[in-house]
Amino acid sequence: MYNRIIRNDILKSKVITLTTMIFVAVSAMLVSLAAILVINLSGALDTLMKQAKTPHFMQMHSGEIDIARLTTFAERNNKVDDFQVIEFLNLDGAQTILGGSSLANSVQDNGFSIQSDKFDYLLDLNGNIINVSDGELYVPVTYMKDNTTKVGDKAVIGREEFTVAGFLRDSQMNSTLSASKRFLVSKNDYAAIKSLGSIEYLIEFRLKDLSALGAFEMAYASAGLEANGPTITYPLLKLINALSDGMMIAVILLISALVVAIAFMCIRFTLLAKIEDDYREIGVMKAIGLRVSDMKKIYLAKYAAIAAIGSILGLALSIMFKGILLENIRLYMGESENSSFAVLFGILGILLVFLAIIAYVSFVLRRFRKISAAEAIRYGTTQEKNRGTKGFYLSRNRLLHTNIFLGIKDVLARKRFYTTMLAVLVISSFIIIVPQNLYNTISSKGFIQYMGIGNYDMRIDIQQTDNISEKGAEIIKKMNSDNTISKYTVLTTKTFKVKMEDESEGNIKVELGDHSIFPIEYSEGRAPFAEKEIALSTLNADELSKKIGDVITLVIEGKEKKLTISGIYSDITNGGKTAKAVFTDNSADIMWSIICAELSDNSLVEKKVSEYADMIDFAKVSDIDEFVTQTFGSTISSVDKASNAAIVVALVITVLVTLIFMKMLVAKDRYSIAVMKAFGFTNSDIKAQYVSRSVFVLIVGIVLGTLLANTLGEVLVGAIISLFGASTFKFAVNPLSAYLFSPLLMICAVLIATMIGTSGAGQVKISENIKE
Amino acid sequence: MKKIIIGDHIVKSFGEGDEQHNVLDGVSVEINEGEFVAVMGPSGSGKSTLMFALSGMDSVNGGKVIFDERDLSTVGENELSDLRRTKMGFVFQQPTMLKSLNILDNIILPSMRDNRKNVAKISEKARALMKRVDIAELEKRDITQVSGGQLQRAGICRALLSNPKIIFGDEPTGALNSKSAQEIMDIFSEINADGTAIMLVTHDAKIAARTERIMFMLDGKIVSELKLPRFDGTDMDGRVEKVTAKMWEIGI
Repeated sequence: MYNRIIRNDILKSKVITLTTMIFVAVSAMLVSLAAILVINLSGALDTLMKQAKTPHFMQMHSGEIDIARLTTFAERNNKVDDFQVIEFLNLDGAQTILGGSSLANSVQDNGFSIQSDKFDYLLDLNGNIINVSDGELYVPVTYMKDNTTKVGDKAVIGREEFTVAGFLRDSQMNSTLSASKRFLVSKNDYAAIKSLGSIEYLIEFRLKDLSALGAFEMAYASAGLEANGPTITYPLLKLINALSDGMMIAVILLISALVVAIAFMCIRFTLLAKIEDDYREIGVMKAIGLRVSDMKKIYLAKYAAIAAIGSILGLALSIMFKGILLENIRLYMGESENSSFAVLFGILGILLVFLAIIAYVSFVLRRFRKISAAEAIRYGTTQEKNRGTKGFYLSRNRLLHTNIFLGIKDVLARKRFYTTMLAVLVISSFIIIVPQNLYNTISSKGFIQYMGIGNYDMRIDIQQTDNISEKGAEIIKKMNSDNTISKYTVLTTKTFKVKMEDESEGNIKVELGDHSIFPIEYSEGRAPFAEKEIALSTLNADELSKKIGDVITLVIEGKEKKLTISGIYSDITNGGKTAKAVFTDNSADIMWSIICAELSDNSLVEKKVSEYADMIDFAKVSDIDEFVTQTFGSTISSVDKASNAAIVVALVITVLVTLIFMKMLVAKDRYSIAVMKAFGFTNSDIKAQYVSRSVFVLIVGIVLGTLLANTLGEVLVGAIISLFGASTFKFAVNPLSAYLFSPLLMICAVLIATMIGTSGAGQVKISENIKE
Repeated sequence: MKKIIIGDHIVKSFGEGDEQHNVLDGVSVEINEGEFVAVMGPSGSGKSTLMFALSGMDSVNGGKVIFDERDLSTVGENELSDLRRTKMGFVFQQPTMLKSLNILDNIILPSMRDNRKNVAKISEKARALMKRVDIAELEKRDITQVSGGQLQRAGICRALLSNPKIIFGDEPTGALNSKSAQEIMDIFSEINADGTAIMLVTHDAKIAARTERIMFMLDGKIVSELKLPRFDGTDMDGRVEKVTAKMWEIGI
């Protein structure tokens, strides 16, 4: 009997059933995809880092190196399992030509290495350790993705010719977020090109037990060993490798949460309307002695059927789509060991959605208990009350057209009923606006200021070279005589010892110079102005557990220097652990210098960059826009794609929900429609009233959605952005698209859906509906 | 006397094929301007259907309906709406009002469609009508906060507001107790005395006896007619007796 009831019911309300099913299917698909991706990502990442034997601790160092001393340290430290020093040959981009085009414009530090002996292997795309022959060149996989080169291409490094033999996965430097890229050549070839560039050393350790990492870091720092360069640890590498795909998963999870919420609202809404429709029958069933649980079964069975079909559909869709989403993970990290597991977890996720729906339907059906049989039989409907429309009378309305007035009045009189539609519209406009604002923000020029980079046009990096200060002075001289340069500043980074809370000593990189010329955004406080002031990056401030006004002690040539913290800022450069101060110092070696310049005429940037690049061969000259594009380019373009997809998803949701809402509303309002028609309102009047209702709800929805997007959305996105190291964050909004085009799109969607959804209003026959 | 409505051999059927069933089986009827008529008949005889057909709320399958010299079969959906709004008034058995509006707003609703600018004048007129039918103090009440009789009076105010040529009443007193019913009929008599034609559908002999012409329907046909002198407040029992006698005679 249940089967027959369910079948008839579904056939009677095809559109509504189908829409609900679609929402269930989409939420099931998203949950399953998220599960599959999480399992694959963590599996593939583990596999990659296991196969490559990624170092647990790595200190980059340029300059003199005492390998014997390092070896002794490694042998004596009982935490160390294995130790090696690898050479990384830094070459100017212009010296590397891949398939005809040089890497001169690349902001990555492109360097060359030979295959390691002990660990930190470079792997081919099958996960095997590459055995490279003379004349062969293996290129980082990221250059395959952006089509810089392909297998078989000719490559020229300096004067040596190579053939691109394949691509490599580098468990350390795979991600575009990591600033360096390693190319692999044979030992003989390496020896041949060694003289072309400067050597940077990667001092690498594998520990017996990863949990001892913190203690080991301390031991390394206090041993006063080579430390002229960034320090990178295993967990940080894992984070960097997981970040871009992790963000995609986060976005999918966020969207799936929203779609699940919408699916629940649809179910609640259709269920309540159905109960309303069947009110009298429910009363009768109760009166003739059917048990509430029996009645619940009928409704529950219907939704179980819808949810089951939706879930199966969702599973099929997720299996269909997982390939596309896994492409990136497969390319960069390879196949996961537990990919067969992944589908299992996907199914588990879907099962969870299914059970949640059943539980929710059962929860909504609790109200059966409250229905009084007598009342249901007598009135046939719940006794609704009008609330909150005091003072809004037709007899005092001169402003609005009567149809518009009636539309708005109806919404105000039945607020609870319209809440569902409102909630969906709020969510939709939220989904439209937030990704779009995020895209605008991260693609705007001001954004880099949140990332620890000032707003300049051109930067010149001088590093891995001798006599950095003289070379800097040389460039400054040129700039002084160049009238197209309106202002510039030199920022020099040095490493100092810093006293930790427990009196032990650590290293801190401090960027010295005038920080007021190209200011960055400070999340707290301000730039250092006085000699005794210092600003810390968020990561450093957290690590040293310092806040504004606290004092930190640097040790310079054995003497203590106390500095007050004037500000804290976000930074993505140099591993995020930096500091800024203005004091002058001649003691420590310069690690690197950057010269930032602003041009009087913005259009000259490209020309000036190449002019300086030609003039200076010991430094890297880059266009800041180029720098941003290459560092964040792939992130920006994926956010762009995501925001376009979000718009489509939100519009589809809007159309579907408005459609079922309007269809149900017309069914519910047949009596009122008949009354209006009897008293001389035309079909177009009725339509105008429904359009007024939906537009009114929509406007409230857009306003609320926009407010939410700019508050909650900003906080949410801020949380994501903080993964990049930026701690404070404000949306850069494009008003035209956020406040004009997006609302217009939604209005169009709602209007079309309302028109289609209310087409049934014209068919309402007065004579059939006016007698109750 | 000018005729406000002419129904000429009206056929209205429901169902299809073998199931088809004529609810109105060639009914012809004429109503004069200012006339007060009633249609009587048992349930299912077609009296409400006749009213829906004559007022253009329902289309017919055969014959034609002329309202105020216009053939309704040639009039479009929108114009039919206009006619109903400006020249006809309706009072139904159940209070056909919108739950979201208060009493006054429900009364002025049809007139507000075209005359929003005159809202003050329309509201004034509505208040005067409400005073006349003794519900002046209820204008701000919700429709769930007043009695059935009061709601029916409000319905009459709504029907009268546009100065219609005719008021259709479909069992307007059907849901009321007899005292309220007679009070409503007093109001109808007054309105009729002012020159508005009224057509009531009823199965209550006491209600029909207040009119001046009664048509009796059975199985989709008008089977008989009874004329009475204009009601002047006297001889109510005699009139009711005549009506019931006629009902016995026909067998309804």
